[in-house]
Amino acid sequence: MSTRNSPPANEVQLAGDMRLLLSGNHAVSYGAMRARPEVVPIYPITPQTPIAEKISDLQLAGDFDVDLMTAESEHSAMSACITASLTGVRVFTATASQGLMLMHEMLHYASGARAPIVMVNVNRTIGSPWGFWPDQTDSLAQRDTGWIQYYTENGQESLDTVIQAFRVAEELLLPAMVIHEAFYISHALEPVTVPSQERVDAYLPPFDPPHKFDTDIGESWGNVVNQDMFYRHRKDLGAAMDLVPAASVRADADYQEQLGRGYGILEEYRMEGAEMAIVAFGAMVGSARVAVDMLREAGRPVGLLKIKLFRPFPIEEVRAAVAGVPRLVVMERNFSPGVGGVLHQELKAALYGMTDPPAVHGYLAGVGGVNVSPKKIVELVDKAQTEEPVPGSVWQR
Amino acid sequence: MPTEATKNYDFTEEKVFNSGHNACPGCGEALAVRYVLNTMGPNTIGVVPPSCIAIISGPQPYSSMRIPVYQTTLEASAASAAGISRALQRQGKDDVNVLVLAGDGGTYDIGFQALSGAAERNEDMVYVCLDNEGYMNTGSQKSSSTPYLAVTSSTPGGKPSDKKDIAEIMAAHRIPYVATATVGYPDDLARKVAKARDMKGMRFIVVLTPCLDGWGVADDEAVRVSRLAVDTGFFPLYEVEDGERYTINRGPKGVPVERYLELQKRYRHLTADQTREIQAGVDHRWSLLQSRVDCLAGRSKGA
Amino acid sequence: MSKTTRKAAAPATHRPTEVTGPPASAPAAGQAGEIPTIWTTGWTDVFNTGTWRAATPVHEWRPSPCHADCPIGNAIPTWIAGIREGAHLEAWLALVDTNPFPAVTGRVCHHPCEGHCNREVLEAVVGINGLEHYLGDLALAEGWALPAPGEAQGKRVAVVGGGPAGLSCAYHLRRLGYDVTVFEAHAELGGLLRYGIPEYRLPAAVVAAEIARLLDMGIEARTNAPVADAAALEALEAEFDAVFLAVGAQQAKELPHLEEGAGAGRVLDGLEYLHRCTEGVARDLGEHMTVIGGGSAAMDVARSARRLGHQVSVVALEARAVMPAQPEEIEQALEEGVALFDGAMVTAVEPGTDGGVTLRCVKVTLDPAAPPGEIRPVAVEGGEFILAADVIVTAIGQDPDLAPYGDSLSVERAILTVDPATLATSRAGVFAGGDAASIDRYVSEAIGAGRRAAFGIAAHLGHSEAEALRRPLLEEAVNRKEINPFYFDFAERHERAVAPVTARLTGFAEAVAGYEPDAAAAEAARCMSCGICVECDNCFVFCPDMAVQKEAARAGADGVATGETAAGDAAALSSAAPGAPPGSGPFYFVLDQYCKGCGLCVTECPRGAVRLEQVTR
Repeated sequence: MSTRNSPPANEVQLAGDMRLLLSGNHAVSYGAMRARPEVVPIYPITPQTPIAEKISDLQLAGDFDVDLMTAESEHSAMSACITASLTGVRVFTATASQGLMLMHEMLHYASGARAPIVMVNVNRTIGSPWGFWPDQTDSLAQRDTGWIQYYTENGQESLDTVIQAFRVAEELLLPAMVIHEAFYISHALEPVTVPSQERVDAYLPPFDPPHKFDTDIGESWGNVVNQDMFYRHRKDLGAAMDLVPAASVRADADYQEQLGRGYGILEEYRMEGAEMAIVAFGAMVGSARVAVDMLREAGRPVGLLKIKLFRPFPIEEVRAAVAGVPRLVVMERNFSPGVGGVLHQELKAALYGMTDPPAVHGYLAGVGGVNVSPKKIVELVDKAQTEEPVPGSVWQR
Repeated sequence: MPTEATKNYDFTEEKVFNSGHNACPGCGEALAVRYVLNTMGPNTIGVVPPSCIAIISGPQPYSSMRIPVYQTTLEASAASAAGISRALQRQGKDDVNVLVLAGDGGTYDIGFQALSGAAERNEDMVYVCLDNEGYMNTGSQKSSSTPYLAVTSSTPGGKPSDKKDIAEIMAAHRIPYVATATVGYPDDLARKVAKARDMKGMRFIVVLTPCLDGWGVADDEAVRVSRLAVDTGFFPLYEVEDGERYTINRGPKGVPVERYLELQKRYRHLTADQTREIQAGVDHRWSLLQSRVDCLAGRSKGA
Repeated sequence: MSKTTRKAAAPATHRPTEVTGPPASAPAAGQAGEIPTIWTTGWTDVFNTGTWRAATPVHEWRPSPCHADCPIGNAIPTWIAGIREGAHLEAWLALVDTNPFPAVTGRVCHHPCEGHCNREVLEAVVGINGLEHYLGDLALAEGWALPAPGEAQGKRVAVVGGGPAGLSCAYHLRRLGYDVTVFEAHAELGGLLRYGIPEYRLPAAVVAAEIARLLDMGIEARTNAPVADAAALEALEAEFDAVFLAVGAQQAKELPHLEEGAGAGRVLDGLEYLHRCTEGVARDLGEHMTVIGGGSAAMDVARSARRLGHQVSVVALEARAVMPAQPEEIEQALEEGVALFDGAMVTAVEPGTDGGVTLRCVKVTLDPAAPPGEIRPVAVEGGEFILAADVIVTAIGQDPDLAPYGDSLSVERAILTVDPATLATSRAGVFAGGDAASIDRYVSEAIGAGRRAAFGIAAHLGHSEAEALRRPLLEEAVNRKEINPFYFDFAERHERAVAPVTARLTGFAEAVAGYEPDAAAAEAARCMSCGICVECDNCFVFCPDMAVQKEAARAGADGVATGETAAGDAAALSSAAPGAPPGSGPFYFVLDQYCKGCGLCVTECPRGAVRLEQVTR
């Protein structure tokens, strides 16, 4: 039985690991520290600030040898990340909401430049109007920027995914985002295993890119290209993206073996013989696990499909996971005006063309950060079983 | 037998800047890039935002500069340079120079936040603004560097506001080095670049570079026009160290501003009253600068 | 920007570039043959931006206006540079390459060189005449010798007339290797230099010293030896391989009506008056003298008379501003108390009431519609006035006395007809120059004519190098629009010291002193070397495309192609422009592949040593 506050069921604790009571954000700071970035350009924004603060403290204490650049805006922070990365050093940063929006131009720039930056985004509502609540629209609005996106369920997973993300990003030369929600994950305290530096060093090879700014080489980046070159460039980027699922699976498998925890790029929870499956990502997955346990205890064949790797959307793996399940209920904490829930939309697109695809319901359950309890989730499952799915996402809080 | 404007500097060319670039014939900015790059030397990494310099940098896969150059977005020159500079320091390569070659748009306007932030943090770079007083690459629109009453495509009746004084703004950040320079006095420009190169921290040089097309100047007049900017007092050449120690290199020589204005089509519409107004403005700013210098002399730290 | 009428051949100072390839280190990405989309792999110097240009710069020696305007063809900036650099002997040798009499011309030349001197753009023309005066006197003080005669040609030339034209011809013939004999009718050589210009302007000792130095080259001179008629001329032709006639214009023009009106002994010829002054014979001519004439001779007469105590008035046909006399002469004459009645003529003369003569005069203007060479005065109504004098001296010009030669030589408009380039007369083997063959009555014109005639004679006698040594006529001198005044510091012109009037009037001591050494150095520093590259590097520095490059070594290094030839020929290079002095460059070359033709190099050249040529395709 697992709740969102537990380490994964497959955890193996190893000698040299630390067990600390940490918030999700602080867990990220420790994960970053283990990955040994050289430069961290960063700008504060609620609810990301504890990440930067903990990094500062670790640096001051001499535990984290890093250059922390207190940029004057997120746009500048990301601009500095790109160039530091292209100069050939490992780079990390974090932001949220408005900050991520401000970075938007530079997110495209980073993937186009093939800079393997790892960034943690704390999901927060986007203004206007103002709010500080968990909502995934901020990171989902970046889904076209060419960044890999991983959504985590708890602080432990965030820590571990940050380290894995460096592996995948640097292998394929694509930037990666590790995303967890405001307050539910970012500020909630739980026991976290911090792996030893030696093990992480063995897991993550040093960053040594084939191209970089070096006066001995003399190559430059960013001159204007013609249409044909642009086409080929985008195609190459797409080809790298296509390799992400397999690379993520490998990275995760190695992580399990070397550091004792693994998550997969998606997770099937109590899906055996399921008549209906809840599909969710982020913090809601924890509540959904509880709801599924409640339902199964009541004898109802309902399972849970957790989506971890969202970009690229793992189409084949998702199809395999839901094959034979008659009905899917997507519950999500985001809204794209004119289209509805983003996971709902992407899932339907992923299933298009399947023989006997599941029917898909989409509920906008937690938009704006409203609480979605396990009891509420059960109610939504009941509701889904009584009605026909409609193309659009349905507001239900 | 070197001349007045070249005699104090040795132009041993290191050929960091290549021929075959796309600058207009007679371009003042290309001339400035030549002096700056060859003075900085090959142990340099450059940052260039969208601007004429970006086009002069060359089309993929060719570069006109024999150093690694990163083309950034228009807002981000100083921040991008800071990223390179910090990465180099982490790699133990702090002898490598980081050089920004930005236009006035990317310095005075959209790039100003990043510049100010980098200055406050005293990032380690030489930031050279090639100031042609407008967004010339996109068709000569006004920037906050465009002078009062100059015609641009977005101020066809003459700009109603004054030119921002970027040198004084950067001096107020109290960075190690601020200087003004122009292509008409290459030995002065090269001396300042060399001086900046050999310092640490945030170093800022604004170079007035006439744009032939944008200003309406003949192909062979960029050097003459830029000298007149100095000799009329429009653009005095001076340095400020640590925001306090001023050195005036060249002030006005008593040449009336008409001599400068009459060479540029962007001022062709001026009435006599407007010319007088401009002259009064130039005289006033010069006297303020002198007052500032006099006031600080002997009072600044390290004087 | 200067335009040129010269047809554009491939400019001598252009060459194609060396193309450098991409950096070796950067690995190429993508498929074979496809340009990588990220990270650069090459440099822009593969792009031929030279195709953009509509005009091309040409580095080429150009004559300075002083050089082009000098009747002797003197390469003035070259020797001024020598003074500037402290290489005075070399400077003097460059000067006497054309003019053997710098101490003379430095005192009396009408200095057309200063007429278009571009330094006027800044403050005032350079004191070229004063610098020549300085160098000439320095050479005399140091006892420098003229260049040695050339390889002996084994031919003899007779020069008739020992004035400036004849002596100049003798000098240049001797340098070309000929044996020369000068025949002079008077007791001493020098012509007008000795007999026509007063001591206070040109001391006889200076003339004598420069002539003696010339004779030291091995020129034979026979004085008191006139060649008086056609028969004598024929005898010379038989004895010598060629003859140069430079007999001057020694017959004063007369105004017969004056003599009739004034009575005997009251009207004198100015030339004779000056001759007598030099011999120290003064006549008792009475107190008041009126001189008629507006040229240098009239001023010489007037000022000499003042020194001898006369009250002097001068009546000149021309208005002061256009009088043929040099402005300095008129100014000094006025300072010395000469009364000038310019723009006036004498209409009648009659005996005066208390002895002496009365001159009836009227103010005149000169008819601008008069044909060239003819002066037509038009009386101004109500402009009559009267002068009283004891003696009238006329100085209204001279004619050559050609009657002795009869029909043997072609004469037009009272002077010998000669070919303008060779100075050959109508008789084969007989050449002529100076006042006898020209209406340009200046010392420098005479010296220049003598030089041109020497080359004409040498060509006639089949001298193998005459053509190469002569130097052709110069066109398209650098004009003031091609000077960039920014590169020159303001510097006042130094004037030579003129003695105070009271001192001047006490005798015939020199009125004007030459420059002191530091004044000469300062004045030489004002010369801008128009058209002569001094390797200031401006063209190299101010090119945005690095398309102007410096020669690895001076002219003579291998490399630059001239026109179609391949590897460089040093001689061809340095004489790429006609008349170019040796070692005058070009020191830069233009990279054809990159030059966009903006013209910055031309505009920033301080001295017009680069010009822009239109490109036609």
